[in-house]
Formats: sequence, C-alpha cells, structure tokens
Amino acid sequence: MHLAVVGKGGAGKSVIAGTLARVLARRGRRVLALDSDMLPGLTFSLGADAPLAPPLLDAAERGEDGRWRLKRGIGPVRAVQRYATDAPDGIRLLQAGKVGPDGLAPIQPALQAYFRVVHRLARSRAFADWAIVGDLPGGPRQAAFGWAPYAEGFLLVVEPTSQSLLAARRVARVASQRRGSPVAVVANKIRREADIARIEAFLATRVTAIVPADGAVVEAERSGAALLDHAPGCPAVAAVAALADRVEAGTLRP
Amino acid sequence: MKIVVAGKGGAGKTTVSGTLARSLAQAGEDVLALDCDANPMLGVSLGVGMERTDLLVGVRQAVDAGEAEHQPTVGGMIESFGADAPDGVRLVVASRIDRIDPGCP
Repeated sequence: MHLAVVGKGGAGKSVIAGTLARVLARRGRRVLALDSDMLPGLTFSLGADAPLAPPLLDAAERGEDGRWRLKRGIGPVRAVQRYATDAPDGIRLLQAGKVGPDGLAPIQPALQAYFRVVHRLARSRAFADWAIVGDLPGGPRQAAFGWAPYAEGFLLVVEPTSQSLLAARRVARVASQRRGSPVAVVANKIRREADIARIEAFLATRVTAIVPADGAVVEAERSGAALLDHAPGCPAVAAVAALADRVEAGTLRP
Repeated sequence: MKIVVAGKGGAGKTTVSGTLARSLAQAGEDVLALDCDANPMLGVSLGVGMERTDLLVGVRQAVDAGEAEHQPTVGGMIESFGADAPDGVRLVVASRIDRIDPGCP
C-alpha cells in the first residue's frame, strides 16, 4: 500500500506517519518513508538521524536549458539505493531536504530531484511489494501540486479543532480530485466521543482510525524521540497499530 | 508598522496573528490582517467564523478571474476583495488553493 499523510500543520501527520512506518516494518514489510516536508518532523518520528545536507543534492544536474534534472541513469530504484538513508527497523528514508538558515535556495536541486524521483516511482513496479508512507507538509499545497503521485490513498490526519477541521476539509477536497486515491480520515488527539461526532459531521464521512489524546506523544515530541521507542505500550501506538491492520487488510475506507 | 508572523504548523501563528490584530485595533490602530497561508485560516482566530472564513475570496484568484483591470491599486484590492472582521480589522486573503494543478514543483 502506498500512502501519503496529509492534514493541517501540527495535527500529528509526522507522528502518525513515522509510527505507522515503524509498525509496518516490524511486521516484516519493506518500508520506504518519503519526506517532502521542508520542516523537520518525520525524521524525529521515525527515530532516524537526519543528514546535514539532503543526499539528493548529488542526484541533480543542470540541463542545457538551465533547469534542474536527474542525472543520467537515476531511476527510482537507484535513487532509493543511493540517496535514501537508513531508519530503524530497516526502513529506507528518502528526504526532499530541510530549510536551513539560508532558506530553500541551497536545497533547490534536491527538491527538484525529489519531485522527479517520486513521479518516476509512481510509474514504476519496483516498489509494488513495499509499503510506502509519505509525509507531506501542512495544508493543501503539495496535494494540489502533485508531490505525492505515488499515493494510492491519502491518510487525512485531523484533530478536533476548528482550524484543523477547516484545513482537513480543504485538503480532502483537493486530494479527492485525484481519481482512484481515496481519502481515509485519522481522528487524532481525541478526548471524548463528541470529538469524533464533530469530525464526522464536519467532513461528512466516517473516520477510519481513532488515535486518543496521549501524553506520551507530547513527551516523545518534547524529547525528540520516536513515539515507538519512547512509549511502545502507549494508547496512541496501539491505535496506530490498529490503523496498520487496516492498511494491510486494504480496508482503509470505512 | 508591518509585522510578519512565522513558525511551524500548529505552533500558534494564526492565533497570535489574529489576537495581535484585534488588540492593536482595540488600541485604536488601523489594522490590515493579511492571510498569506495557502490554507487561509486567519478569519477563524479573528472571530469571523469557520464557514465565513472558508468562503473568503483569495486576491490572487479574484485577479486571475479577470477583475484586475477594475482594481489596479493595492488599496482598491483591499477594498474590493477584503472582508470586515471584528474591532474594525480589515482582513485580506492573499491566495487559496482549491484545485489540483499539475506541475509547479
């Protein structure tokens, strides 16, 4: 299953994506984690080490027209071999790159390379047996501009706040324009039954997974540790494991 | 005085922006609240309401729709495409994304 995780900034996309990837990997799946968020998040949630500069910088070159392109011979398989890094439980992590003190300009070649790699990956059969978990930045921009062409489905993470709900509805509208890519709602930071009812009423759909508000998630984020390493037995991890069951069974949509 | 509020998603940019704008307006300043997020949400924290916030027009989309020649000035755009928020704050949404648009990495 090839998934992209979307939602408002701060809704919990990276924690859900990172924990889901780790759970699937521990069950024996080969997992590729894709990170196109220019802010750190998934690296921490996976418990991985972040390279200082994105390895994909080496995958890009300028063509005669002055535009960035992939170097010759770099398809999705080679890109994952060469430019992905190792994360715990055998996960391969491919990152677009992180914004630094000089802004996005220094990593522009890596961003361009990433965009081209994921488009080739979407047309490739090489990763058919892999689980792909992509973490997108907050809001509808990347979902609209085709940064997750590999996604066979979207996980829309939403918490029961007005801003998160409004953002989720907008992202869902954009994502649902992609034919054949269903949107499954992950209700996060849930404290009471009424939270779920509010989300389902506002988005006019059933939720697929319910992740409870869990102090262990806050503590893990404060310490910069992966949730699965920090508190493997916590309720939020149990909820993500139940989500992984649905992913593996192919029953994401309620 | 022109202030830009930035930070990670969920850190509280919109809440700080909206509350700051209203506080300044209550203190007697003329305030323009400019929402430059591709996922514009400033109306919620200003107190415009969820559904009305979701209906606000982005200036970019309004200009693209061909109304630019009627409003060639910045002041005109604020007048035409902005909305009134509580305490006399004028709210303008720069842009919003509603459709998938291939390309543009």
